[in-house]
Amino acid sequence: MLARLMKYEIKSTARLFIPLYAVLLIFALLNRFLNPFETLEAAESFSIQILLRGLSIGAYFFLIIAVFVITLVIIIQRFYKNLLGDEGYLMFTLPMKPWQHIANKLLTAILWCVFSVTVITGSFFILFDSGQIFEFLNYLKDSIKQTFGTAGFLVLPTLVIAQLTAGLMMLYNAMALGQLFQKNRLLASFGMYCALYSIQQVIYVICLLLLANTSFLSLIRTGAPAPWDMNLFLGTLAISGFLLAAAHFVVVNYVLNTKLNLD
Amino acid sequence: MSNLLECKNLSKHFGPVKALDNISLSVGCGRIVGLLGPNASGKSTFIKICNHLLTPTSGEIRISGFHPGVESKKIVSYLPERNYLNDWMKVSDIISFFSDFYSDFSKEKAYDMLKKLNIHAGDRLKTMSKGTKEKVQLILVMSREAQLYLLDEPIGGVDPAARDYILDTIIGNYSENATVILSTHLISDIEKVLDEVIFLREGQIVLHQTVDEIREETGKSVDSLFREVFKC
Repeated sequence: MLARLMKYEIKSTARLFIPLYAVLLIFALLNRFLNPFETLEAAESFSIQILLRGLSIGAYFFLIIAVFVITLVIIIQRFYKNLLGDEGYLMFTLPMKPWQHIANKLLTAILWCVFSVTVITGSFFILFDSGQIFEFLNYLKDSIKQTFGTAGFLVLPTLVIAQLTAGLMMLYNAMALGQLFQKNRLLASFGMYCALYSIQQVIYVICLLLLANTSFLSLIRTGAPAPWDMNLFLGTLAISGFLLAAAHFVVVNYVLNTKLNLD
Repeated sequence: MSNLLECKNLSKHFGPVKALDNISLSVGCGRIVGLLGPNASGKSTFIKICNHLLTPTSGEIRISGFHPGVESKKIVSYLPERNYLNDWMKVSDIISFFSDFYSDFSKEKAYDMLKKLNIHAGDRLKTMSKGTKEKVQLILVMSREAQLYLLDEPIGGVDPAARDYILDTIIGNYSENATVILSTHLISDIEKVLDEVIFLREGQIVLHQTVDEIREETGKSVDSLFREVFKC
């Protein structure tokens, strides 16, 4: 049943993401042919051609920011409108448990975040010389290997996914808690986000202070920490991210299961 | 007659406002029940609690023995008083959606009703009028072989000419053992199909009787009695 929910969620969101990705890739292609960087570098005086190429590359970078912003807006809107708005009347009368709705939104959101980053990276391949990009990626690979060891290739993506999951779940938690209010639910959700963020920061600081005197003492003292120490530190951060996400998940599930009050 | 819907001491408060105030009732199988009352009498609140869209402040409710949840949702078909469908979807998409999630949904029945109402399955909802959207929602709800149909203001947004068709659709598409609970304040339009009525006022039940009992005891129609009870 979760797979069915995800099928419809992906279908509902793809119609918004696919055109966005298409526009970004088209602009990357356009800039590849216009070659604005070379033109701007070689330019000796102002001309319409330079203005157009400047605008074209400006639009491309604007689109990259837009992809990030729109991804976030769609993720928030899908939870708020589809579960807590009018569409919630349909979703919550399906014979599904609330955790399945939350998991559906979360997994689809992670999927689109990964796609957004992949498409942006893909657009770099279109825009720039692929040789240069491979060179940069090799440099990045070597740096990771040097600092984190081979385990870094597992620990770093895990950390990114853990923090992304925790961040998304905090957004969902803020909206779920916001719907407990009878009026100004959007404002209440924003207030809840600020409160949850503050609580999270306090927990992180307490944990870091506690751990700093024990496990991570050598990491703090040494100028160039060993890969093992780095991975232990980042791995702990990843686990704490997953734990935090799980805590948010439990709260959202509890609220939607026992405190749901659709307008 | 076994009880399909049962609630005991059910209350729902919104701050100081008592939308439902300690109501207890039971409804059996194979009945068409009118949930009647003026605006803000608690009709929609009651139906929303049955559908697990609102959490009661106190009391309990059971549908076929289940508390509102996954099991009750499998046997309840709900028509809300608002549009809950994605506007960008085609009618055929929504039919597939219902078919995927409700094992008791009949695609054939839905397409048949669409044809009778001259609604094209390939049309997107955003191109439809409010009344047509309501008809699509009703078709979806009545295409299920549910045990309990909860219809919140099913005829409120359509023109009088379409009301008879909608009532015929409701009557013609539920099985004998299923129960239909209709909430409305357009009583004269639905009176002819009702088996029993529940009058709600300020969150309390002021009357729960069969239509025959009302006619025998008072000699009045439900509409006349309603006007008398709720006289301003």
